[in-house]
Amino acid sequence: MQLEIRDLTKLYDHKRGLLPTSFDVIKGELIAVVGHNGAGKSTLLKMLANWILPDSGQVLIDGIDLRNRTAVVRKVGFIPEVPNLFDFFSVEYNLKLFAVLFQTPLLRVDEVLREFNMIPFRKNKVQVLSKGLKQRVNIGRALLADPPVLLFDEPTSGLDFEMTKEIYRLLISMHDAGKTILFTSHRPEEIKSLATRIMVLHEGRLVFDGPPQKYFQSEVHENLYA
Amino acid sequence: MKNIFILAFNDLAVAIKNKTIYLILFIPLFVFISLGLLDRTDGDVNKIKIGLIQGYAYAPEITRSVKAAEKLIEVTWVKNEEEGARLLKKHKIDGVLVKNEKTPGSLALLVLKKESFHAFAIVQSFSALQKAAEGNSPSWIADIKSLHEGGVQRQTLPTWILMLVLLVGFIILPAQVAEEKEKKLLLAFLQTPIREVQWLIAKLIMGMVLIIIAVAFLHLLGQFGPINLFGYIAFIAAGSYCFSAFGIFLGFLCRNQASARTLGVVFYLPHLLPSALSDVSQKLTVVAPFLPSYQLYRPLQSMLLEDGRIADMSFEWIYLVLVGSLLFYLSYVLMKKRWLM
Repeated sequence: MQLEIRDLTKLYDHKRGLLPTSFDVIKGELIAVVGHNGAGKSTLLKMLANWILPDSGQVLIDGIDLRNRTAVVRKVGFIPEVPNLFDFFSVEYNLKLFAVLFQTPLLRVDEVLREFNMIPFRKNKVQVLSKGLKQRVNIGRALLADPPVLLFDEPTSGLDFEMTKEIYRLLISMHDAGKTILFTSHRPEEIKSLATRIMVLHEGRLVFDGPPQKYFQSEVHENLYA
Repeated sequence: MKNIFILAFNDLAVAIKNKTIYLILFIPLFVFISLGLLDRTDGDVNKIKIGLIQGYAYAPEITRSVKAAEKLIEVTWVKNEEEGARLLKKHKIDGVLVKNEKTPGSLALLVLKKESFHAFAIVQSFSALQKAAEGNSPSWIADIKSLHEGGVQRQTLPTWILMLVLLVGFIILPAQVAEEKEKKLLLAFLQTPIREVQWLIAKLIMGMVLIIIAVAFLHLLGQFGPINLFGYIAFIAAGSYCFSAFGIFLGFLCRNQASARTLGVVFYLPHLLPSALSDVSQKLTVVAPFLPSYQLYRPLQSMLLEDGRIADMSFEWIYLVLVGSLLFYLSYVLMKKRWLM
């Protein structure tokens, strides 16, 4: 198992958050985590990314406990919904800074820039880029250390049709390259076209976990989008 | 018109939400309390603490008048001028009446600062006593000597340095830490192999470097330098360490920049004013030592104006380092808990 999640729990005020949740993830899966707002999707991903500390439970990534943060950071890349970059610095600076912190050769920055068609924008300040381009830089930054697990929180939120297609293309190519991907989404067509497995969270509980065909025929899907 | 009111109410709600409104309440409250602690200028509220030198032949009218005015003047007998100067530096007394070498037979008043409330109050009180005792004869105090060397520019230097240190500590650093939290940049850093303590040390170094550059620039412009350079650098380093750690800690207490700036000002003024005004107020002299800023201000003042040495101020140096270390540790704990991130 690449990811082993056991009784992972996080409760905020008013009992919202994630109730004890357990599941395993096999290498190479592309999992869509779906559910209404406040269902616990982002909380789950943020806990896997070490952004939020769980109240209880355990997460093992390739056998290493998530609490051993410095040991697992190269294994998990998290791309939040809102790009978190240094706006007043260039695309290249942002990538180089994190490449140095990841102790990755700086040549990797050029590779990422090429891979994400960002060469023409490398000297541009992040603040002048569109949200789609910023999201691409954010994904590129997460890939600097080449982590085997990628977590995307609403990757296409707020993007236009073209940029959404671009993100889909990136997700598919990363999946083809053998990455394990978990992403949250509200879009049924996105889930249908991308996911190899679907997990549905409702009020902090995991209410469905299975293949897309089974999901789209289930009551869970009908109830979710009723 | 309705829209204007709606927008104005919205702005007010934002000000409440990001705690800016606290400044509006805090500053008048703080000014009121500070002014309450400042002595009144009529000089009859607090006793004047005057030092007289044992064995010196003061005119009988002076000793008699001073004794008669025991409700106004408290006399401390000192062995010699040096002991008087030492008590002055410790704020135990307000002035010492010493022999005036310029005009034989008259007295000189030794004070910390010529342009201080204490000097003014002593001269005024002695003038009144003299009039009552002798009428309009030549003044008992013919000269005023100051322990603080240099002109106004040099004498105000410790206050300017304190301002710079506190500005970086309470205004610049909390806002920067809060900005990194608000924009999730700190969380981005925590997705790399860097350790929490490395990030904190980097911020600390940034704050210390900013302070040291600003102080060095101020000295360069004013062309003033301390006599004991090593001790002075040790104190600037300890002060910049303490207040940089303080600023980082404040940043961790806030979710966004606006809150951090407000909180910064809330801490900035109480640390600046009592320390900077302690020279002109007996009450503030009592209150100020409880503030970490005073533990920096007094040694700076001593080293820049009184030729003080670090050996005499080891308590203040250790105090600054300990407070800085405590706040650094608290920031580490908050960072580990992902506090308000």
